[in-house]
Amino acid sequence: MDLYARRRLSNYVVIALSIMATAFGLLWLALILGTLLVNGIGAISLSLFTQMTPPPGSTGGLLNAIAGSLLMTAIATALGTPTGILAGTFLAEYARNSKLGEVVRFINDILLSAPSIIVGLFVYELMVVRMGHFSAWAGSVALAIIMVPVIVRTTEDMLRLVPSALREAATALGAPKWRVIVTVAYRAAVQGMLTGVLLAVARISGETAPLLFTALNNQFWSANLDAPMANLPVVIFQFAMSPYADWQTLAWGGALLITVSILLLNICARMLAAWSSFKP
Amino acid sequence: MNSPLARPMPPDTDREPEPGRTAPPLKAVPGQLPEQMPIDPQSRAAAAASAPALKIDIRHVNFFYDKFQALHDISLPLHDRRVTAFIGPSGCGKSTLLRILNRIYQLYPGQVATGEVLFDGTDILSPGIDLNRLRAKIGMVFQKPTPFPMSIYDNIAFGIRLYERLPKSELDDRIESALQRAALWGEVKDKLRQSGLGLSGGQQQRLCIARAIAVEPEVLLLDEPASALDPISTQRIEELIAELKSDYCIAIVTHNMQQAARSSDYTAFFYLGELIEFDETERIFTHPKERRTEDYITGRFG
Amino acid sequence: MPADVAISRPQRTRGGAFGDILFRTLTQFFAVLVLLILSGVILALVSGALPALETFGFGFLTNTAWNPVTERFGALAPIYGTLVTSAIAILVGIPLAFGIALFITELCPLWLKRPLATMIELLAAIPSIIYGIWGLFVLAPFVQEYIEPALIDTLGAVPGLGLLFEGPPLGIGVLTAGGILAVMVLPFISSIMRDVFETVPPILKESVYGLGATTTEVVWQVVLPYTRIGVVGGILLGLGRALGETMAVTFVIGNSHRIHASILQPGTTISASLANEFTEAVGDLYLSSLIALGLILFAITFIVLAIAKLLLIRLERQAGS
Repeated sequence: MDLYARRRLSNYVVIALSIMATAFGLLWLALILGTLLVNGIGAISLSLFTQMTPPPGSTGGLLNAIAGSLLMTAIATALGTPTGILAGTFLAEYARNSKLGEVVRFINDILLSAPSIIVGLFVYELMVVRMGHFSAWAGSVALAIIMVPVIVRTTEDMLRLVPSALREAATALGAPKWRVIVTVAYRAAVQGMLTGVLLAVARISGETAPLLFTALNNQFWSANLDAPMANLPVVIFQFAMSPYADWQTLAWGGALLITVSILLLNICARMLAAWSSFKP
Repeated sequence: MNSPLARPMPPDTDREPEPGRTAPPLKAVPGQLPEQMPIDPQSRAAAAASAPALKIDIRHVNFFYDKFQALHDISLPLHDRRVTAFIGPSGCGKSTLLRILNRIYQLYPGQVATGEVLFDGTDILSPGIDLNRLRAKIGMVFQKPTPFPMSIYDNIAFGIRLYERLPKSELDDRIESALQRAALWGEVKDKLRQSGLGLSGGQQQRLCIARAIAVEPEVLLLDEPASALDPISTQRIEELIAELKSDYCIAIVTHNMQQAARSSDYTAFFYLGELIEFDETERIFTHPKERRTEDYITGRFG
Repeated sequence: MPADVAISRPQRTRGGAFGDILFRTLTQFFAVLVLLILSGVILALVSGALPALETFGFGFLTNTAWNPVTERFGALAPIYGTLVTSAIAILVGIPLAFGIALFITELCPLWLKRPLATMIELLAAIPSIIYGIWGLFVLAPFVQEYIEPALIDTLGAVPGLGLLFEGPPLGIGVLTAGGILAVMVLPFISSIMRDVFETVPPILKESVYGLGATTTEVVWQVVLPYTRIGVVGGILLGLGRALGETMAVTFVIGNSHRIHASILQPGTTISASLANEFTEAVGDLYLSSLIALGLILFAITFIVLAIAKLLLIRLERQAGS
């Protein structure tokens, strides 16, 4: 085969392979979502949302797990969002070129990609050992620590996108720096920052490992933040690994719930990012 | 850091010209008022009657971006109730000089100004000046319109709220008055609560002018205010400047020479960070004294 | 200025310098908090792992024993499992990610780009536990029925290489875990590759196309070399993710503290051991050994992530100059 024909052939081969790779990736997505749907839809019923997790061999629902997850996610968001936003503000507004800023950015990115199980271990040592028992507080703190680096990153990126001309215009009117940031820069970047928060919430919605070491699980309804609290991911873990069919069905139902929530959060985040009335 | 701006001292008044002097000096001396007054006695008397007060006196100012010296020994006056235009090719330092006057350059480390800038007698480059209050008295409008991401009402109110706590009715009045003076009131009075970003380019720029006026400054710095606008908006801005002149000391940077010739009373020509010539606009454009000025004005470069 | 507007005003800007100091201190505090969290993690892990490290010394790293009854623990099996599953994930994931990135940046019609990229990114959004249960109930049986027998029959017969494919087809094991990890890291690596591919100046590509080069040649000989730092950084980030993955691996690895040459056998990873055994660990030494495992995992991922980050910083500087 002459050189030209060989080049063309290898080109077609590579192109074919890359199309197959893309199809492969999409296939996985379809398979996973499809399996979730098929296996989980059977568990979706009113009782899923109204009954507690049952002992093995009987039917029930996931109410306490759902409530526990919602509660801990809410607390984690309340703890992690201001921390992340303020730290991100510092990086974008006061530390663009400073050594401290570079170090914090570096560490933040490490934390961003660090295994979440490590965070679980950390909060275990920090809170569970000290307090002597597992608790929802510990679970929320662990989730908050996972959220913070995401929010720091998106906040800093969004604030950096705000054009300096806008800041200068506010400064030229005599506004002190903090006012420029809070009333002009935040206003301009709010959609992006909100997107970051949504993505962070989506991230922690499925986290299991950190909760294993902090909030553990609770078979019953509990609103006691100082005690172990039921949560969806750990319940799914426990039920799916078990040999009981009822439990496994519930596990699939829970998995479907989590996945749908995360996908919705992601879609909302993207829509928010796209609908930005502020064009830099 | 919080020492208030000193009370303004009595303004410098012009020296009366020697009667009968008609020949222009051989070389314009930057930093001094033109010694040649209009030739015929009637105009001379009229001009003397409205002798412009010296509002800002720039003395021997140098400016550095880190190691690079962008301005060399600049001295020139800015007169109250007059428009002074800064012209020159790109990179000549005219915007740099403008940004010294409200010390906006201080947002960025590594940028340093030396020399004196006397605003009503007080050197605003000295370390004790309260920058926020300085900027309340010296306002700036930028090249690209920069409406804040808020309603038109809040855009104007932003500056006012920095300094005063006004009851709503007074605030409404101040906002209306600022928009009136910026020739924008008619177009926005029914949509004050809508976002400032929804306005056209020309309207946004007038919004920025209204915003700057609302804090009641004494000086207005305009950095190529019309360069991002279409010709009709540009014309409206120029008309606006002609009206505002009667209340403020205005300095305008422009690379549109016709605009400078139309709108300004005094013109300063900069080149490569130096002030080449400063004179009354009419004089500079008809009888420039420096060769480089003439070359620039006639379009031989830049 | 109109005379009627010459009102006297309050002499201070509201908020002003005090507000500035307060706000700056506030934001700085939270930024430093991020640093403190990392230091806290290191401290907590070290203090928790100390008893085990003191008892076993460096032998901890080379011992395959894992006996809660006699209280003899060694990290070799989990470390081995972590490294092998991650290696499989990267080896399988890189070409797939590259193929996807190539398709999206060079071949895909414009209207398809955004939706396709979004779908691939959704793969990354699916949480680990979902991959885990899917792997256990869907992938593992499939692998057991079709893939593993096929591998045993073909590659298993090859001398030498066949050692990697010995043993009965169980479905769960190192191979399946590596496979799931590959699917999990694939969107990460792919999207980083896509981002760096898009930084190549179009003019550069056009000039090579203009010489008559094929797409493959342009990408292989121009785009990849231009973006190699970013690509390597992306691969390392994907590796970091694979090393730390917990739930997906826990479901399908088989949880056996043994080392086999064959990847068809069960094994364990650091994170899987932690997830499976932590809540039921009795005895201080057991617990401490588990935390020591966590410390080792943290050290490994920290190093990998730090290298990745440094490379990406180098890339940004290069792009900026």
